[in-house]
Amino acid sequence: LTPFRSLAPTIYLIAFVAGGVLMGFEMLGSRYLFPYFGGGIGTWASLISTVLCALAIGYFAGSAIVDRRPSQRAIGAAILVAAFWLALVPATADTVMQDILDHIGDGPAATLSASTALLLVPLTLLGTFSPIAVSLLARSANEAGRVAGLVYGVSTIGNVAGTLLTTFILIPSIGSRNITYIFAAMLAVCAALLFVTPGRQPTGV
Amino acid sequence: MLIRSVILGALAGAFLCAGASAQQPRLLESRESLYNNIYVFSKPPEVGLTFGYNKKFYAESIFNTNDDRDLPVSYTRIMTVGLMYAREIHSILEIGSGGGRTSWYLHRFLPDVRVTTVELDPAVVEISRKYFGIKDEPNFFHEARDGRLFLSQSKDKYDIILLDAYRGPFVPFHLLTTEFYQIVKDHLAEGGVMVQNVETTTMLFDSAMKTIGTVFPQIEVYKLDDNAVTVAYGGAERTAEDLAAVAGERDKTYGLRYPLAGMLPDRKRVDLNDAQTIDAKAKVLTDDFAPVETLKAIERHNGKLP
Repeated sequence: LTPFRSLAPTIYLIAFVAGGVLMGFEMLGSRYLFPYFGGGIGTWASLISTVLCALAIGYFAGSAIVDRRPSQRAIGAAILVAAFWLALVPATADTVMQDILDHIGDGPAATLSASTALLLVPLTLLGTFSPIAVSLLARSANEAGRVAGLVYGVSTIGNVAGTLLTTFILIPSIGSRNITYIFAAMLAVCAALLFVTPGRQPTGV
Repeated sequence: MLIRSVILGALAGAFLCAGASAQQPRLLESRESLYNNIYVFSKPPEVGLTFGYNKKFYAESIFNTNDDRDLPVSYTRIMTVGLMYAREIHSILEIGSGGGRTSWYLHRFLPDVRVTTVELDPAVVEISRKYFGIKDEPNFFHEARDGRLFLSQSKDKYDIILLDAYRGPFVPFHLLTTEFYQIVKDHLAEGGVMVQNVETTTMLFDSAMKTIGTVFPQIEVYKLDDNAVTVAYGGAERTAEDLAAVAGERDKTYGLRYPLAGMLPDRKRVDLNDAQTIDAKAKVLTDDFAPVETLKAIERHNGKLP
């Protein structure tokens, strides 16, 4: 196996898992927010727009990193920080939500603040993954389009799986807090994989 | 307010529980709001409010335009049982107004008591004012807020808190958890009582009873078709004699159209430890774990209610 060949499966696996956690955590976001801000369409709009903002920021940040020093370590570190963030959520979410409710109330500003506090940082970090992954796997400009299509495709299938599994299997069987811990652990494993998988030689092609 | 009769596709069914006239209901207004697909039907002298959900219509409220003090929907009459439990009655809160008729009935018969009714959907609030005879009056307060949000931010205490919030067939999960019932309890005045409309045919009933039991030591139900009105309170169990005495006195004081004394024979105590009535495997619902949709899909094995 050339280093490149051993890296590709890892990257695709992580694209899938991180995609699943990303959407799964958005679904969980509703369980964290509803008790404080109600279960209306406004809360959903805040969650969805926050996720999309996070992805946009993540993509821009990822492309800026690609310009400088794209490395497995960089995305490994980003995923690890996201894992830590998720691990902190179960113990702190209630305090944060209550503070927002007490200080901002319950309108759009409050639901946006709450979803930002919950989702923006970890999902932005996960958003940096795809562009960097493309740059790590693509050996030529020609190949970039093909790799980008694969990375985004796999990641989107992960999104679908994360949404459905979280909603229909995980939330009905184990609590939201435990699911959050599982997601954090899954991300930590992804980060570890990136740290231990041999990378492409920077000099290679 | 929600009647559990689900009427497949048929608009005419909107008045299943109303008069037996063969006259077809007429659609007065339909509106797509932030939260609901709202349909208002007229079948003189009654006006009905229904929500469309999954191509089914859930009748929420019926208003007899000829009689401001009528409660055509039978379970809503039983929702007033709280009046014989509360030690004193100065203030009543309802979460989930729908057409607002239950609160209005209480307001009409207890004009000196502050009645507050909270409804999530501003369009439903508007419609209840347009078609259901609800208006601003001293001691009657109508708010468009999420019920839990309203309560958690309220500094007031209530002698009776009525819970009747449904979206289609479901109670929103955040209104069925231990944390929510704790907020309810924190807003009950000394000797106060919580009254809730709970559907009895699915496993959600068992879980709801167990969850209420984590906060309130006393639970009683008044069973009626597929609905049960649940009463929960603190302190020692009330005796039938004690309740009958209060009922008789308050029936007289307030001149209630639906006498409390007449409801007493349907009273049953819920024993959470009795596996015959409450499934031993039923789980307590929390903000963290509340699979209400899943539980709602499982039929109860224990047909027998307390």
